[in-house]
Amino acid sequence: MKSYNIILAGVGGQGLVLTTKILAEVALKAGYSVKTNDVIGLSQRGGKVWGSVKMDSEVFSPNIAVGQADFVIGFEPLEAYRHCYFLRKKGTIIVNTHKIPPIPVMFEQVAYPEDIYEKLDAEYELVKIEAVEEAMKLGNVKVANTFLLGALASRMMIDKSIWIEAISENVPRKTVEANLKAFDAYFEKQ
Amino acid sequence: MKKVLNGNEAVARGFYEAGGLVSASYPGSPTVEIIQTLIDEYDEIYAEFSINEKVAVEVGIGASIAGARTLVAMKHVGVNVAMDPLMTFTQTPINGGFVLISGDDPGMSSSQNEQDNRILAKFAHMCVFDPGDAMEAKVMTKEALSISETFGLPVMVRMTSRVCHSRSIVELEDRVDRVVSGFSKKIEDYGMIPPHTFKKQYEMKNRIAKLQDFIESSPINRLEDDYRSDVLIVTSGLMYQNLKELNLKLDVLKLGVVYPLPIEQIRALKKRYARVIVIEEMMPFIEDELKIHGIACEGKEFFSFTGELMSEAILKGLEGAGAVEANDAEVIEATETVNRFSMFCAGCPHRPVFDILKKNKVSVIGDIGCYSLAVLEPFELVNTIISMGASIGMMKGMSKAYQMAERQEPLVAVIGDGTFYHSGMTGMLNLLHQLDPDYNLTLLILNNGTTAMTGGQQTASSGYYTDKSDMKVDMETLIRSMGFERFKRVDQFEYKAAKKVIDEELKYEGLSIVMTTRACALQYKIVKPHYVVDPDICIGCRSCLKTNCPPILMKAYEGHDKLKSSIAKEMCVGCSVCAQVCPVGAIKSSSAGEV
Repeated sequence: MKSYNIILAGVGGQGLVLTTKILAEVALKAGYSVKTNDVIGLSQRGGKVWGSVKMDSEVFSPNIAVGQADFVIGFEPLEAYRHCYFLRKKGTIIVNTHKIPPIPVMFEQVAYPEDIYEKLDAEYELVKIEAVEEAMKLGNVKVANTFLLGALASRMMIDKSIWIEAISENVPRKTVEANLKAFDAYFEKQ
Repeated sequence: MKKVLNGNEAVARGFYEAGGLVSASYPGSPTVEIIQTLIDEYDEIYAEFSINEKVAVEVGIGASIAGARTLVAMKHVGVNVAMDPLMTFTQTPINGGFVLISGDDPGMSSSQNEQDNRILAKFAHMCVFDPGDAMEAKVMTKEALSISETFGLPVMVRMTSRVCHSRSIVELEDRVDRVVSGFSKKIEDYGMIPPHTFKKQYEMKNRIAKLQDFIESSPINRLEDDYRSDVLIVTSGLMYQNLKELNLKLDVLKLGVVYPLPIEQIRALKKRYARVIVIEEMMPFIEDELKIHGIACEGKEFFSFTGELMSEAILKGLEGAGAVEANDAEVIEATETVNRFSMFCAGCPHRPVFDILKKNKVSVIGDIGCYSLAVLEPFELVNTIISMGASIGMMKGMSKAYQMAERQEPLVAVIGDGTFYHSGMTGMLNLLHQLDPDYNLTLLILNNGTTAMTGGQQTASSGYYTDKSDMKVDMETLIRSMGFERFKRVDQFEYKAAKKVIDEELKYEGLSIVMTTRACALQYKIVKPHYVVDPDICIGCRSCLKTNCPPILMKAYEGHDKLKSSIAKEMCVGCSVCAQVCPVGAIKSSSAGEV
């Protein structure tokens, strides 16, 4: 049983809690022991938020130590970059490229950093996904996170049917079809 | 059956399985989902969000005395509000099991302070359970109810933010039905005035002593002595999980109950180990208890008194203590980049109010709620935040102090509707008492129909915004009936009209009350066409930007030298405030057909 440590990072209101929950359900269905951290605090108010998922045969703490994550899923580029130090060497960082500027950028005090991808690409496996734009093409901006899940799933040793089941059971009923399309878009054969 | 639950959902499940019947709370992070889960998923249980934590505990006391298994949940600071009835209830016997969930917040991820409520529990002669993950939270909630009934005392299950919001696998069991035994009419047990109370002090001590005897050999505290090391670690809850993560070769006493402690068991163990090291977050509670009982131990000198103790900090502390060999592994530093703080949501009705206050250059006495965010940039306007409902009382005290010093300084306070009903109302009544009628005080009540910060639980006036609530208190009628006369109601999305009223009231010499009326944008979605900027008209003055709405950003347009404003279509909810503050009419509704 291959263990996985996954960090999720984004902005309050982007749906990290639901994504974390789906990952936990995937782990349960795949026979893992799992613990997660949900985002804490001002989760719906645009602050920086993060979560973690740990899957193994036995898990004690839900916390992932720095340098110990196999994957970072960045729901926003700046937040992906902020949390990249959790990754192990040559770990994978999957980034939704849609920028959400923080207040200092809105107020033109600092520029949104432009060299994020170069820095990430130099040290990790970088997967960039225009998730918001692709989701809008599917007619539902809310499925953006499922593109990222597809990219993650294609890199993990867990059967596709388990992912499909966990996604179908946890997203709003009306969005199941769009979510499964989004999942398939980045799920390549292992 | 196995299910992935977070700590809060697991507590709710444990209460359900234990045959719980009545529960109450005031919404507050990190425990808010306990009652929400009971409301959403378990029809067998009565669950309410009360007006404040004191009332929630009173509801719980009533149910427990009547013989129902009862759960009351709140965040750590909420227990302060509830302390008064609690301190007396801990003297009376228990009929239906009573469990108080305290959501402590090491690191203050969503709180104004970091108090350690294990100390409050000891102060109140309550037993304290300390679960470390969701499965333990479920098991301990049931065990707490059982101990409460067996030993006749209220029990605290002390959660922390990390345990409340951490998910893990929970084994589900069936519900056990329990009979409501009814009110015992023993006046000497429940009529808490002398001479009845004299006896109660001894009973309170005795039941803790009996519980301690039980705890000495209870499997709820677990010794793991596989390594026969010379150091014994004493720890509990999440600290145990964080320690196990490190896979060190140390013996551990894992406490399930942290008050009362198995003192004799630890005293006997002390003979076997050269050193006892306590690992606990925040205050040295277990360490002090051991020292009080003459058991030599170490602890806080190696671990931080504040914040969360993650595995790295535990390892470092143990290295410092010489309990494990020091490790010189490369230290990975956090990535430095632009910071991101929380801000008001798109379409948030608080934003125009703070924009107006900022333009008036006033200082503001704040309170607890989403509007506390105005303490951060760009508003940086709320100058004080202390506790729920404190703003109105503080405004009175400030005005008295200025009067004594023969100074006049107009004072402004803001309070939300949830906070007003929670405990602002008493401060409001106090304003009627010895108030200088000519002192310039302005109170803004931001009535958005919900407890927004914790995810939109109802307040006493939610009924005006949604059919789902059975409470429909008209705030204006309430305040006028108290005897206040100068009361204005504004629609802050009618920006200019609202600004005119607020500007006038800020100048009024005397007490004036202004209530804003727009609902929370997150809870009651505004569904209006988005707004667009015409870059040919926009002069780049940044008036719209200053309202700090998330979709608004300065951007370079083709054919324009200067940066002009822009609005992100997918975020805008169409509240129109930006269009109203624009001095040149460059921002229009997309429904007008112009892009």
